[in-house]
Amino acid sequence: MNNLKWYYPETIREATDLISKEKVIPHASGTNLLLRNLKKINGFVNLSNLPLHYTKKEDNEIEFGSMLTYNEIISELKKIDKENILVKSLINSADTPLRNRITIGGSIALAPPWSDIIGALLILDAKIILAGKNKGEFLIEEFLNTPKLKQKSLITGIKFKLSKWKTFSYRNIRTKKDMPAFHIVEMLKINKHKIQDCKIIVTGTVNRYDQIIKVENYLKNKTINSIDFSKIEQLVNVKFSGKRFTDPEYSSKLAGIEVSRGIKKLVGI
Amino acid sequence: MKEKFIINGKEKYLTFDADERLVTSLRNNGFKEVKNGCLEGECGACMILLDDKPVHSCQIFTASVINKNIQTVKGIGDLHFPHIIQNAFVEAGAVQCGFCTPGFIIAAYALLKENSNPTENEIKRAIDGNLCRCTGYVKIIDAIKNASKTIQKEKVEL
Repeated sequence: MNNLKWYYPETIREATDLISKEKVIPHASGTNLLLRNLKKINGFVNLSNLPLHYTKKEDNEIEFGSMLTYNEIISELKKIDKENILVKSLINSADTPLRNRITIGGSIALAPPWSDIIGALLILDAKIILAGKNKGEFLIEEFLNTPKLKQKSLITGIKFKLSKWKTFSYRNIRTKKDMPAFHIVEMLKINKHKIQDCKIIVTGTVNRYDQIIKVENYLKNKTINSIDFSKIEQLVNVKFSGKRFTDPEYSSKLAGIEVSRGIKKLVGI
Repeated sequence: MKEKFIINGKEKYLTFDADERLVTSLRNNGFKEVKNGCLEGECGACMILLDDKPVHSCQIFTASVINKNIQTVKGIGDLHFPHIIQNAFVEAGAVQCGFCTPGFIIAAYALLKENSNPTENEIKRAIDGNLCRCTGYVKIIDAIKNASKTIQKEKVEL
């Protein structure tokens, strides 16, 4: 055993002071930290006593504390917006006991390629609320692409706007308990048989995630009966690494088919 | 480290290392009913209730849950006073080698406490964190359905 130390702060200020120490890191639920080389860590800051188990709803915006678990988020969000893309993305993630443990903050801090939450947060233009050195609110995209934002900072919450867009989520898995090879999220705004707006994101690609702008542009202002679904398959063209689960070319082809199937489902064909 | 936990309704002090997993601490401190299976959060043999929620105890650092409420399968019922759910498992033939059974009982208990009349899909979802290599799950699902019927008939509060 090494000299790993545990800290139990009760205020956010205390917690951010602690994580500014050398090799002292936040511990949300720890399911990933169990896999780390603990010899390289001096201490864990246990976040469970902090006031980060909360839900706030104001007008059309919802905010979740970072220590809410996947199952708590699903249950809270289902009460007000059961079709929300975050509900659809998380409901089949991992399994019941893991969803009772994995927190939204820990998940965002880690953001592995197989994450089920990142696509949904990107498509929702969610904001990450940070305390500590980089205190402030940041769009999820900026947070993911600016690694220094994580340094000596603590995720305290997320917020996003609720919408009436139609939503679709697809996890590419071999068995129910698998981590997904890739995850597709789609949101469509449809009015009188016409697609007014749409957003499509695939996570788990070589770029970590890709917004499928070519398909989005193709679909915008198109009437439902004029959509060529085989064209959507061709336009997707995302790249996958050869190191993960399956053949990257196959995954790429499959992603095209599944994006197209998702659109079909959303427009009711 | 030596810290306090509430285990099966009683205050207990566990001795453990700072990097130890809860399954190991529980077993090292006498709670052998918590089975050590895969240590990867896949099989559910180590399942316990943590503040009434089913979790894999192999996926938790002991130090991260000090002072919390922990319930093992023996806190639900034991050989002398088996719970309705445990009886239902025996009667349905849902126990073969028995290694996974404590985890399944925990998952079933958590489900039936929240929803005493679950659908088959809700049962399947509730046990999605548990693996059984013997029974093929049919009898386990039957057992949970039977336990649900008994709980409703006898108006039992879990």
